[in-house]
Amino acid sequence: MPSDPRVAQALSALAQPIAEFRAAVQGALAQADAFMAAQTADAATLASHAAAQLGVFAKSHVDPAKFAAMFPTVATADKESQKALEKAATILRRVAAQGEDMALATVSDGRKLGATIDTALAGAGQAFGAIIITELVRGSRYKKAEHEKLLDPTEFRAWNNAERRFAPPLVVVVNGADLHAGALLDFADGREKIVLVVEGAAPPAALVRCITPGTFVLQTVDGTGLDRLAGYEGPAIAALLPEGAATFMHDPTAGKEPWQRLTVPFLPSAPFKAVGGFSAWQMEQDVKMLADLARTPFAVPAAPGAKGAPALGAGEAVDRIASWLLETSGIKGTA
Amino acid sequence: MSYTCGMLPVLDQHEDHHYEMSEYEGAKARWCPGCGDHSILTAVQRLLAAEQLAPEQTMMVSGIGCSSRLPHYMKTYGFHGLHGRALPVATGIKLHRPELTVFVTMGDGDCTSIGAGHWVHAMRYNVDMTAMLLDNGIYGLTKMQTSPTTPQGFKSNTQPFGTLLPPLNPLEIALGVTNASFVAQTAEWAPSHLYATLRAAYKHKGFSFVRILQRCPVFTPAIYQKAVQDPARIQLLVHDDGVVTPDLEKIYKSQLHHDPRDLAAARSLAEQTETIKLGVFYKNPSKPRYEESRRVAPRTPAERIALLEKEFARYAV
Amino acid sequence: MSASATAAPAPPKVLRVPEHTVEIVSDSGEGAQKCGQIFAAVSAKMGNGVWTVELIPAEIQPPPRVPEGASGNRIRVGENAVTNWGDRTDLVIAFNEQVLLARHRVDALADDALLLIEDKWARSEDPDIVAQWEAALKELSSKHYRIIPVAMEDECLTIVDNPRKGKNMFALGMLARIYGRDMELIKAQIAYAFRKKSEEVYTQNVALLELGFHWAEDNIDIRVEIPTHASDKPLVVMNGNEAIAMGSIASGMELCAMYPITPATSVSHLLSEVFERFGGIVHQAEDEIAAVGVAIGASYAGKVAFTITSGPGMALKTEFLGLAVMTETPLVLVNVQRGGPSTGLPTKVEQSDMLAALYGQTGDSPHIVMAPATIEECFHIMITARRLAETFRTLVMVLSDANLATGVSPYPTPTLDEAWQAAPLDLAPVKEGQKAYGWNKETGLSERIIPGRPGGMFTLTGLAHDDRSKVAYSSDIHQHSSAMRSRKMAVLQSLLVPPTVYGDASGDLLVVGWGSTKGAIEEAVDRARKEGLKVSSLHLRFLSPLEPGLKDIFKRFKKVMTVEINYSDEPDDPYITEENRRRGQLSILLRNATLVDVDCWGRVPGEPLRPMSIVEAIRGRVPRGGAK
Ligand SMILES: Cc1ncc(C[n+]2csc(CCOP(=O)(O)OP(=O)(O)O)c2C)c(N)n1
Ligand code: SF4
Ligand SMILES: [Mg+2]
Repeated sequence: MPSDPRVAQALSALAQPIAEFRAAVQGALAQADAFMAAQTADAATLASHAAAQLGVFAKSHVDPAKFAAMFPTVATADKESQKALEKAATILRRVAAQGEDMALATVSDGRKLGATIDTALAGAGQAFGAIIITELVRGSRYKKAEHEKLLDPTEFRAWNNAERRFAPPLVVVVNGADLHAGALLDFADGREKIVLVVEGAAPPAALVRCITPGTFVLQTVDGTGLDRLAGYEGPAIAALLPEGAATFMHDPTAGKEPWQRLTVPFLPSAPFKAVGGFSAWQMEQDVKMLADLARTPFAVPAAPGAKGAPALGAGEAVDRIASWLLETSGIKGTA
Repeated sequence: MSYTCGMLPVLDQHEDHHYEMSEYEGAKARWCPGCGDHSILTAVQRLLAAEQLAPEQTMMVSGIGCSSRLPHYMKTYGFHGLHGRALPVATGIKLHRPELTVFVTMGDGDCTSIGAGHWVHAMRYNVDMTAMLLDNGIYGLTKMQTSPTTPQGFKSNTQPFGTLLPPLNPLEIALGVTNASFVAQTAEWAPSHLYATLRAAYKHKGFSFVRILQRCPVFTPAIYQKAVQDPARIQLLVHDDGVVTPDLEKIYKSQLHHDPRDLAAARSLAEQTETIKLGVFYKNPSKPRYEESRRVAPRTPAERIALLEKEFARYAV
Repeated sequence: MSASATAAPAPPKVLRVPEHTVEIVSDSGEGAQKCGQIFAAVSAKMGNGVWTVELIPAEIQPPPRVPEGASGNRIRVGENAVTNWGDRTDLVIAFNEQVLLARHRVDALADDALLLIEDKWARSEDPDIVAQWEAALKELSSKHYRIIPVAMEDECLTIVDNPRKGKNMFALGMLARIYGRDMELIKAQIAYAFRKKSEEVYTQNVALLELGFHWAEDNIDIRVEIPTHASDKPLVVMNGNEAIAMGSIASGMELCAMYPITPATSVSHLLSEVFERFGGIVHQAEDEIAAVGVAIGASYAGKVAFTITSGPGMALKTEFLGLAVMTETPLVLVNVQRGGPSTGLPTKVEQSDMLAALYGQTGDSPHIVMAPATIEECFHIMITARRLAETFRTLVMVLSDANLATGVSPYPTPTLDEAWQAAPLDLAPVKEGQKAYGWNKETGLSERIIPGRPGGMFTLTGLAHDDRSKVAYSSDIHQHSSAMRSRKMAVLQSLLVPPTVYGDASGDLLVVGWGSTKGAIEEAVDRARKEGLKVSSLHLRFLSPLEPGLKDIFKRFKKVMTVEINYSDEPDDPYITEENRRRGQLSILLRNATLVDVDCWGRVPGEPLRPMSIVEAIRGRVPRGGAK
């Protein structure tokens, strides 16, 4: 467990979605356990369950055995379903045991940022599968051939739209030298939220490469803006960087044009020092891009995000940013 | 509280089903022939299909009146409740299940008379839903009694010598409510405008109030007749951020560029009733939403018990 | 030294009693309630039974020194568990003679009560005040009270500048001495009560406490000893509304929609403070109608929600309650009853909403009605109510009242159970052919389908409908669906256990009660039995469906009579005949269900029933020749 206080800060900014994911996992686990226990329960056990559920007030007023008989609680499951449920419960138990750590990953030496996130999310994806299996078995709808694969870890790229909408948030501790922002773009979908806690020297504006019209992107040194990120309904990527990095917030809800969406409180200036595989020249490019994006078009230098920009055909501006984005992200022609 | 709820359909949408408009059709609509409600039903179904809303994730809530029958004619979840009280029910649904998409249909009696209190407060809560006022200027279901929006002088069964008071202007009221975030007006006989307005309302995050002028050929055939026949009596409020309906430009030549962020202008437009104005009067996505401010982290049974034990410690003897 | 201090008193007289009732009364804002609360808490900690009621003036800020302003606490302390507020007060500390008069005038004080009154008013420079003092003492002299004037403020002035703030601690010190309370426990309570204030505040309050203690030591010649029995189980102490709030949390409900109304509101005060931590919210709606509408919407969409209110609010909710029954949407409604009709007696207890709760909805509207009898049951009933609402797919009403709401008493700390809580939402696709109301033809029970479940897409409606929720006016369909909704009540009754009789299983008189009167009724029955009367009692928790086996139980008694806090005619009142007599609400219900000639005795005094008055009623009603 890293002791960096910024990790706690990032986790607490994502507290709501993390709590939701955790509650889903624990809820499903409780249901799975209860279902498995009920499979072998005799009448007396069922009566005692009913008595427990009815509570103390009902003790001398409601007959729990009769009640249990009136409301049979669970269906009986076949062997295959029971097996699947046991497997699902094992996965859920493992994830539940991680507590808050279920939303935490660290890029270890020799691994890549993208691969680390992929592994972490695949684990979460497995929890999805386990939750769904629990529901299927409880509802007597489990079919091995069709559903078994749900328990396999699936990479994010294989998730469907709905799954992406429910993607659990992730806090990733990464060394500045490994901050390959390009890898993050793969995860900018659905409602996925990733907050990087960057340690050591780092490129100053790496996340500028993550900016797309619908992605919330944030670079911060003190956590400013993390609350906005948590409330955003689409994909979001943020980095908590060491002092000296550029700070900016790209909030897709703030307007149609890039300069409306982008605020840049701090822009560092050259010269930069190479970090890991990042050359000083690359860093300069990133910072320039950021400045470019934030600049109000056709206007004499104005503060980024300032009101009253001269009208520019909406289409024109969108085209401009789109082509720029295609260029920088290397995915020409697919937008 | 919404995590598991929304997750299950994940499974059932595995092969990314495409919904046809017909998949949103419920029971056969039983409104009178020529009733404007038919066209509203169609627009709603078209919107759902265009947005590919999962029927099981979509809620139609209504009160009581001809207009409130709409949920029965849809194939989504529906709650057809009490006269005037659709909004509290819809609010409760959305508070507990924010992931559901909620539409509300109300009549003019429903919304602006018996349910007026709820209407004002629902606007203020600004809970994300699309609320449609189907305004035929009369009590339809109960057979032609004066409603708050009945034109002055109109002879109804309860005011047979002519409706006594000048009609209430729902737009003025809506625009006067603190924290209102979306107010629009459209007409059922201009289907593309109706559709575009409902779409804008649906897209807006917050409480979208749409007054839909609705013809009742049985009881109030005359009240919108002139406007239907003479497009000059209608002015479209157009804006990129509101509704634009290029196909209507030829019919409705009177158009006004109105920025829906301008509340003062919206209010003054709402007051001017010589021409009927259709479009988005006001829209402000930054108003606080009640369901957002009330969002709480869900608790598991075990967590709840641990916390409750602490709470009990405060009362320990 | 104070005028009332006497020189070297004789050793105090020690009263060893099984119970004693104490009151501290003052103008509002003088801290009498804090004094009373601490005294009660410490007594409970020491192992006494305790029942506290707050004395609340009707106005928020009544003028000083008027009887209507009387504010404070009444604490009944007993050797064993105390189940009700008792009869009359044995010892009073009053901060002025006017508030004391208020208590005297409502016959709250025992004939030989000991009254400790602040006497600075007798020495006032204002001749009017002196005149009032004298008139009051004269009025009080109609009873055999023993009055001890105490110069409380003068005493306090010896160590503080503003005696008005702090007199209550002096009073607490006196009580501590008279009742032999543990001073260390009291200090701990003071520390807790002032935990948000500075150290200095604590020190000063403790100094005042000790001042009062020593003053009583030197000047008061009576000590009261009530044996204590330390409980082997851990206890919590709270009022009924707090218990309801805690119970709703324990039941796993997540939404309370309400509109403020006394005496129900305090449930929402506690909940508002803590509910969000438990994943729940309190929604204060624009009115009671909206509140129940929001609760129904939330319940329909997922976990059972609840609404809390009192009489006038319940009246407003009526139409929605019918909708909950008609659409078979589970809902829990708590009515903390107050005096009625109309705005009635907002802060005072009454049990007169029973029939409105049972029958107040239009059309045929079968639903469950339950009533907690103790503060402890206020907690536990919420769990059962939620569960029954869910399984029976219907409205469950919980009838509490102002007596439970404001009474404070210890009860065993509940052993919390996860099984009490609502299960996570089930969003599995509905089964092929599943209907909106898949009624079991025998039982009327059906599975509830919530939005989000693929393949369902039902529209629920308050209009008459068939099992697919299609609007249907045909006569046979309405007959059938009405039967299905009604059948559920019979099914629930078949799961209930006959109630147990308190006392002998047969005899001359059976007293039947419901709700908050249990403690007072059973105490009265005990006393009457000591007098040799063959009386037993029965207390009902389920009013709809009624608990089974009542007719058989009734048959074993010569006479059955209800005791209720609602209005009924006395048989010998002018104009009253057997035919036109308006009876107590429970007796109407029981007569209807059992065809037994159930008599009734009811009072609406705006206060809980006193056991003594019930004993008198029992004496008057025991069949002639029945008593030995
Ligand atoms: C509490 C209550 N009061 C009155 C009615 C009778 N009622 C049913 S619909 C209606 C008015 C319908 O008019 P409107 O809301 O304008 O809807 P429309 O039928 O015109 O669509 C009335 C008064 C009712 N159902 N419930
Ligand atoms: S009465 Fe009027 S509003 Fe009602 S269905 Fe007929 S035409 Fe439509
Ligand atoms: Mg109408």
